Amino acid sequence: MIQHFPVLAVMLLFLAAFCVEIFGSHNAGVRNTIVMIAATVAMVLIYALIKPVMIEGQIISYWMGNWEPVSGYAIGIGYEVDQLSLFFALLVVTTFWLSGVYSLGYMSKDHHLGHYYTLYLMLSGSVLGLVMTGDIFNMFVMIEIMTFASVALTAFRNDNEGALEAGFKYLVIGSMGSSFTLTGVALLYGQCHTLNMAQMSAILYQNLTPTSIMALALIVAGFGVKSYIVPFHTPAADAYMAAPTSVSMIFAGMVNKAGVYGMIRVLYTIFNAMDKSTVQMLIVIFGAVTMFIGVTMALTQHDFKRLLAFHSISQIGYVITAIGLGSALGLTGGLFHAMNHTLFKGLLFLTAGAVLYATGTTNLDKLGGLSKKMPKTCICFLIGAFSISGLPPFNGFVSKWLVYQAVYTKAVESGNFVYAIVTVVALVVSVMTLASFIKVTQAVFFGQCPVELKKTQEAPVSMLVPMYIMSALCVLAGLFYPLVNRFLLHPAAQSALNVTNYIDRMLGEGYAANMGVENIQVAPVQFSFWNPIVWLILFVVIFVAAGLVIIGSKEERGKMLQQGVKYDAKYATFFSGEEEMFSQVGGSDLFWGFKTDWKGYYRVLEGLHSGIVTDYAVYTVMATAIITVCMFVFMR
Amino acid sequence: MIIIRSLFYILIFPGVLFTAAFGLFLAGVDRKVVARMQHRIGPPLRQPMYDFFKLLGKETIIPHAANKIAFLAAPVIGFVSLALIMLFIPIFNFTAFSGSADLIVILYLITIPGVALIVGGSSSGSPYAGIGISREMVTMMAYELPFVLILLAVARKAGGDTLAFSMETISKWQAANGSMIAQWSMIPAAIAMLLVIPAEVGTQPFDVAEAETEICEGPLIEYSGAPLGLFKLNTAMKMLVMSGLFTSLFFGGIRTGFYILDVIVFMLICVAVTIVCMSTIHAVTARLKIEHLFKFFWTFVSGLALVSLILVWCGL
Repeated sequence: MIQHFPVLAVMLLFLAAFCVEIFGSHNAGVRNTIVMIAATVAMVLIYALIKPVMIEGQIISYWMGNWEPVSGYAIGIGYEVDQLSLFFALLVVTTFWLSGVYSLGYMSKDHHLGHYYTLYLMLSGSVLGLVMTGDIFNMFVMIEIMTFASVALTAFRNDNEGALEAGFKYLVIGSMGSSFTLTGVALLYGQCHTLNMAQMSAILYQNLTPTSIMALALIVAGFGVKSYIVPFHTPAADAYMAAPTSVSMIFAGMVNKAGVYGMIRVLYTIFNAMDKSTVQMLIVIFGAVTMFIGVTMALTQHDFKRLLAFHSISQIGYVITAIGLGSALGLTGGLFHAMNHTLFKGLLFLTAGAVLYATGTTNLDKLGGLSKKMPKTCICFLIGAFSISGLPPFNGFVSKWLVYQAVYTKAVESGNFVYAIVTVVALVVSVMTLASFIKVTQAVFFGQCPVELKKTQEAPVSMLVPMYIMSALCVLAGLFYPLVNRFLLHPAAQSALNVTNYIDRMLGEGYAANMGVENIQVAPVQFSFWNPIVWLILFVVIFVAAGLVIIGSKEERGKMLQQGVKYDAKYATFFSGEEEMFSQVGGSDLFWGFKTDWKGYYRVLEGLHSGIVTDYAVYTVMATAIITVCMFVFMR
Repeated sequence: MIIIRSLFYILIFPGVLFTAAFGLFLAGVDRKVVARMQHRIGPPLRQPMYDFFKLLGKETIIPHAANKIAFLAAPVIGFVSLALIMLFIPIFNFTAFSGSADLIVILYLITIPGVALIVGGSSSGSPYAGIGISREMVTMMAYELPFVLILLAVARKAGGDTLAFSMETISKWQAANGSMIAQWSMIPAAIAMLLVIPAEVGTQPFDVAEAETEICEGPLIEYSGAPLGLFKLNTAMKMLVMSGLFTSLFFGGIRTGFYILDVIVFMLICVAVTIVCMSTIHAVTARLKIEHLFKFFWTFVSGLALVSLILVWCGL
C-alpha cells in the first residue's frame, strides 16, 4: 500500500494540472477546489511516509508498470524514496501547499488564473517527482518540466516591465543547464548501460573512468544552474523579482532545493566523489564565492524582491559550502540550512508579496513606515529577517553555527588555510545579511511613512495564515532542533553517506556487497554548547525583571488621546525646527558609508551583471569548463 | 537549591545586578579618567548611576510616528542579552552556566544589543535616527571581520589539533599553559581586540553612530525616560562585557586560590582594559568619518588579527 504513495502524489499533481485547465478555467470555485484538493492530498501522502521512512528506516521503491530488473539490469523506471529524498520531498510539499493557500488571496487580482494554476501544479509535480525518482533520465525529464513551468511562471505577469526579459534569461540559462545535464546523462548511459541511479552507484563505486568524470562535471554544472550558484546565478535575480511572489517563494523553497538535492544525489550517491579532497575544495570554493557575491549584491539593491533574490543565492552558498565538505557534520548543517532557507526565505517572500499586494510596489525608496499599517506582516518579517541573519534563538542560528563548526573542523583536520578563510567569509557574510535586512526593515516597515501610503491596509487572512505557519516553523525549528536532527537530518545525512541500502533496495539484497560497496555507519551529529531552552528560560527571567522597570515608568500619551487631544508638538518627531523633513538618504541607500569604501569592487560587479544574456551564457559555459578541467586535472 | 542558585546567578552575580552595577562603575571610571586627562575634575564615579536613576523617574515620550512595541521592547531586549552574555563569559575558572555557549554563540549574542539599538532607533521614525542606524550597522560590519579573526585565532591556539570554540576549553588551556597574552603570536590579536572594544561600545573615535554634534545621538534621538536610561545602561554594560571577554580570552588562567580574590582580580583587569582602550583613546582622538572607520577596521585592525591567525596556523 505505502509504496504507491510517492507515485500517486506526483501523478495527482500532474492530473490536477490538466483538470484545472479543462474544468476550472472559467470558474474560480471549481479551480480553487481542484488545486487545494490536489495540493492537500499530495501533502498528506508525503507526510504519511515520515513514519515508515524516517523513523523505521524503510526505503520505498516502486517499479513503474512492474518492470523489475531483468538479469541484473534495471530497465524500467523506478521510484525510490530514501530518507534524503523524503527530506527534500517534505520541503517541497510544505512549500507548494503554503504557496497554494497564499495564491488564493494574492493572485485574486490577476487574469488567466487557469493557466497560472496549471503551471503551478506542473511545477510542484515536477519538483516532487525530481526528488523521488530513482531513474536519472526521469530526473532529467522532471528538470525540463520544472524549467519550462518556471519560465512560463516567471513571465506570467507579462504586462509588467521586465517580466518577459526575465523569462527569456531564465529560458536561455536554464536550457543550457538542462543540456549539460542531458549530455552528462547520455555519457553515463553509455558508460553504465543503465539509467537506474542505484545501479549506476554500484557500478561507478571507486571506479571512475574519464567518461564518467566528464559526466560528473557536466551534471554538477547542470544542477549548479538549477541551484543558482555563482556564476550561474544571473537569471535568478530577474526571475525572482518578476515572478508573482507566490512563485518566487516556490523558486526559493523548491526549485533551488531541487538543484541542491541533485548535487547531493549525484556527488554522494551516484559518484561517491566526496571523499576526494579536490572535489571538496572545488565545491566549497564555489559555495564561498556564491555566498559572498550574493550578499554584497544584495546590499546595494533597490527592490525588496530583488534583494531577497540575491539573499537566496547567498544562502544557497552556505548550503553548497556545507555539503561540499563531505563530512557528516557538514552534510547535517547543509541539509538543516537548506530546510531553514525554505522556511525563512519563503516567509520573507510572502511578506514581500503582502507589501506588494497592499501598496502596489516593492521599490524600497517608495516604501516606509508600514509597521503601523501592517503590524502582523511586520512581525512576521522581523522573525524571518532575524532567522536569516542567524540571531539566536531562531533556526538560522543553529544551522549556520553547524556550518561554521563543520568548516572550521575541516580546516583544523586538513590543516588547510583555505577552509579557515571560508569560515571567516561565512561569519562576515552573516553580519552583512543582517545589515541588508536592517536596511529593508528601515526602508519598508520603520522609518517615515510617505503620504501615498497613509491608507495602506493589512494583508487578507489567506495571505497571513501561511506567514504565521512559516514564522511558527522558524521559531520551532530553532528551539527544538534536537528533534529535527533526530527525525529528519540524521536519517537524511546517513542515507546520503551510506549508499548500500539505497542500492540493495532496488536491485536485491547483497547486490551492493557483491559490487564491493562499503557499508559505512554514520554516528549522529552531536550538538554541544548551545541549548536554546536554557537560553530561553534565562531570557524570560531577565525579560520579566526588566519589564517591571518599563511598566513602572510614566507614560501619558494614552491619557491625552482619551481626552480628545489629537496633536501635541511634544509627541512629534524632532526635525530641528523644520516643518516636516524626510531623510536625505533614501531607504535603499542606507549603507553609503560602506559602499564608498567598496566603490571599486562594486564597479567590477556591476560591469559583470550587465543584463546581457550573451554575457551570462558565456559565464555559464566558462564555469562549466572550469569545473570540467578541475575535475579532470585533479581527480585522477 | 539549584533553582535558588540559578536565580542568584541570573539576577545577582554575574547576571543582572553585577553587570549593571559594575558596568555603571566602569562608565564612571571612564568619565573620570577622561576628565583628568583633559585637566578637568570630572563627575564622581557614581554619576552614571545617578543619571540612570534620574532617567527612570522621567516621563517616557513615545512619538506619534513611532511603532510603540518595537520602540519600548528594543532597549529591554538589548539589556537582557547583555546580562545573558555575562552568564556565559568565564570569570577565570568559574562560569555560571558552563557548557551552554561557545565563542560563536557569544559572537552572535554580542550583536543583539547593536541590533536592538538599530531596531529601536529605526522604529522611532526620525530621519536623524535613520542616519544613525545606518552608521551603527556599518560600524558593526566594520568590527565584525577583525573580531571573527581574533576569535578564530584564539580558538585555534587553545584547541591545537582539535576544535575549541568552547569558552571552557580556552580557560582550561590558559590555566594549564599560562595566559594567552604571554604567547607572542597572540599579541597582534590582543591589540586588534583592544581596538574592537571601543568600536563595539561606541566610544570616541568610533562613536559615529551617536555623533551628538552632527546627528543628535542618532538612534537615541527620540528616546526619553526609562527606555533612554536602559540604553545608557546598555552602553555601560557593553563596556563590562567587552572588557570581560578580553580578560577571559587573553588574561585567563590567573588563579589565586580564593574565589573572591579571583573576582577582584578580574574586576581590576576590566578597569585597566577600560582605561587603556576606551578612556585613553577617547581622550586623545577626534571622531572618525564612517568611511574611514570602515577602512581602518578592514585594513589595519583586520591585518593585525590576520597576522595572529596565520602565526597560530603555522604552529607558533
